[in-house]
Amino acid sequence: MTSQAIAEQPMANNSMQQKYSGKPILTMADVRGGYGDADILQGINMQVTEQEIVVIVGPNGAGKSTAMKAIFGLLKVRGGSIVVNGTEIAGWKPNRIVQHGVCYVPQVNNIFREMTIHENLEMGAFLRKGDIYESLERVYTLFPDLKERRNALAGNLSGGQRQMVAMGRALMLNPSLLLLDEPTAGLSPKYMEQIFEITRNLRNAGLSILLVEQHAKQALAFADKGYVLAAGNNRHEGTGQELLADREVAEMFLGG
Amino acid sequence: MELIGLLNYVVYMAIFIGIYCLLALGLNIQWGFSGLFNAGIAGFFAVGAYTSALLTAPESGVHLGGFQLPVVVGWIGAMIAAGAIAWPIGKVCLRFRSDYLAIATIGVAEIIRLVVKSEGWMTGGARGVNKIPRPFGDLSYLYSQLAYLALVLAIVLVVYWAIERQISAPWGRMMRGIRDNEDAATAMGKDIKARRLEAFIFGAAVMGFGGALFAHFNRSITPEAIDPMIATFLVWIMLILGGSGNNRGALLGVAVVWIIWSASEFVTDQFPTEFAIKAKYMRVFIIGLLLQLVLRFRPEGILPEPQGTASSPEVKTTQKQEGAAE
Amino acid sequence: MPFMEFVNFYLMPGIVLGSIYALGAVGITLVFGILRFAHLAHGDLATFGAFTALGVVTIFGVSPWVALPVAMVVCASLAIGIDKLFYDYLSERPKIIVVMSSLGIALMLRAVVQVVWGVDTETYTRGIVRPDDYWGIRIRDREIYTIIAMFVIVGVLWAFLQKTRWGKAMRAMSDNPDLALLSGVDNRKITMLTWGIVGILCAASGFFLGINTELKPLMGWTMLLPMFAAAILGGVGRAEGAVIGGLIVGIVEETSVLFIPGEYKAALAFAILLLILLVRPTGLLKGKVL
Repeated sequence: MTSQAIAEQPMANNSMQQKYSGKPILTMADVRGGYGDADILQGINMQVTEQEIVVIVGPNGAGKSTAMKAIFGLLKVRGGSIVVNGTEIAGWKPNRIVQHGVCYVPQVNNIFREMTIHENLEMGAFLRKGDIYESLERVYTLFPDLKERRNALAGNLSGGQRQMVAMGRALMLNPSLLLLDEPTAGLSPKYMEQIFEITRNLRNAGLSILLVEQHAKQALAFADKGYVLAAGNNRHEGTGQELLADREVAEMFLGG
Repeated sequence: MELIGLLNYVVYMAIFIGIYCLLALGLNIQWGFSGLFNAGIAGFFAVGAYTSALLTAPESGVHLGGFQLPVVVGWIGAMIAAGAIAWPIGKVCLRFRSDYLAIATIGVAEIIRLVVKSEGWMTGGARGVNKIPRPFGDLSYLYSQLAYLALVLAIVLVVYWAIERQISAPWGRMMRGIRDNEDAATAMGKDIKARRLEAFIFGAAVMGFGGALFAHFNRSITPEAIDPMIATFLVWIMLILGGSGNNRGALLGVAVVWIIWSASEFVTDQFPTEFAIKAKYMRVFIIGLLLQLVLRFRPEGILPEPQGTASSPEVKTTQKQEGAAE
Repeated sequence: MPFMEFVNFYLMPGIVLGSIYALGAVGITLVFGILRFAHLAHGDLATFGAFTALGVVTIFGVSPWVALPVAMVVCASLAIGIDKLFYDYLSERPKIIVVMSSLGIALMLRAVVQVVWGVDTETYTRGIVRPDDYWGIRIRDREIYTIIAMFVIVGVLWAFLQKTRWGKAMRAMSDNPDLALLSGVDNRKITMLTWGIVGILCAASGFFLGINTELKPLMGWTMLLPMFAAAILGGVGRAEGAVIGGLIVGIVEETSVLFIPGEYKAALAFAILLLILLVRPTGLLKGKVL
């Protein structure tokens, strides 16, 4: 966050002091990185604290998904630090990050299409030794639709149900931080509501969630905090309500 | 006398190198510039050899023919025939990743071998086609050899020049673009398929030409003349070692590999006969190992492709990820 | 032609040959599906397995059936070793480079067979075995064992893939490699496991071809095309598809001699391959298209 941005939003900054008082789960400081030689992220700062939904919004190409991939070790981080649960994880491989309590749901190709729902969830718990029954029951309670069709091939499900499988798979390791990359892309309003509802329930159950969303208005409405990115930089931050109320943000990113 | 013998040998070798140069240039069009995996080089070579032979050879009781057309017509026929076989294969397989083309071309070479062996009425079966006319064949031995060498070299130069011209034209730039990003290429659609098909046919025609030059040089062609796998594989190692994507590299690779291959034969010929047969297979093993070493330690070859278009794997994966990002 | 003659001279040999192809095709489909490249050394690895069993038979004077498990272990280790020595270093490069490398491996394996065992035709046992008559169906014991062994080996593999943790991980890797990695599946372990299984399958297909016909250095190479045709016909990545594909290719090849000259039997696999790529590239049981 640039000093200019802080100066412009004294109110936002104040109210966020309280938010920061929670136990930090994820702290990104001045993170730079990208594919090949070009830096797409040019110094991103973000924080997610315990039991919080944080939404990243911004125009296409702002680096939203890229920021998420940087956290999960899917691209080269060339500068800055990424701290999760008190440990620096920049440069780690994804499977180590998974074991550190971060799970990631990619936007596309996020299920095993030729495996059953049940097997998808089992794969989610691949790294866990011992009984996974409790986690399975927890996921099936969150997504009752899945329990009914547990032996159906995931590839035969509707878009909304696939997204549930994808989220369920990620939850099988009982992560402390869940990264969701546009979970509602291409879904009907009914499913979108359902996914948002589940996201809120997960937060209420103690999980921290970082969410990239195109449906910025709807997402900010229930987010604890939001970051607006543009061209690989932080542009604005604040509580969901504050960002919704901000005129500039509204004009630029929320379609007026 | 010694000297003449040596000169004869060198000229003989040089003609072979020239013929392999055509095969390597043909493969460079397909693999080097377009990323198409042809594992049936020997098949296209054989089609060219037999086509030109049958078009130009005199009447014979054992095979089709008696057309006695001019040699140039035979060459053109060889190129057309090889290209015509490439066309349907390319049409079916170029829609997919090059793995499928590799398998299909192995199959084509195998079937061409079957046809040559089984269709005696056409190819003369095991006896093959003989008395194939040879340009400058009327001269005395050494001059005839030298003249044929000059002819082969001239043809290699013309083909080299034609390919270079084509590659520096927009066509060539597009081909390399396709090669370096097959995913994007397939997304771009029909035009790309047509370009790749052109490259595949063009390359096959050049290989067929190589086969024709071989048949006329030997004055005969039989099924035993070429061991399909070894011939195909030698051309591959020539191109990879020399530097795929670089025509000069291809030519250099041909010379280096052919000299190693022949020299090793010279060495193993000194062995007692009971080892000689096994030694032949040891040579194949070593050539296979050489490919592994080149792929691992110097994948760009001796003369890498210029202007850094031989993109590193990082760049390639990057393009992929960017496609998926956002 | 009487029906029983068709069964005895065309259908049964077709099923036997098809079972041999099936064993190879399952391996090809695993490599194609999980490691994502066309393994051109597959046939020659089968040749190596067949000759390894021959070596065990000649050195220890045991029955070929005892030699089979030895050949399986040797081939599995060899396949893993080849991966570690050669393919593994190319894993960051475009997959087609590995295809090329495997073509070189094919030649190297064949050269080893030719140097060690020579180029002559060999057999596991001497003498002619006459087929027994079962209610009009004439079939040799070894042919029955071939068919049974194929179903047992593929059945065990199928159960492994469906029921076990690592079997599921292999399917996951075939299905969606990125997501499998995100789920914490170790790519290296899967690769090693796959090569081990592929080696076992190669040894089996080479062995059964050898016991039903004879051993030649080119035996595996000539099986490569039918095995690929079978794998693609069944659907890339589908083990059960590879079995169906293998049986179809085997039966079509053996019955084709009723309609076309026997020399062109080998061309049938190629025709099937092109046809399936033309009309249904995903294969009979919807597989992958690379």
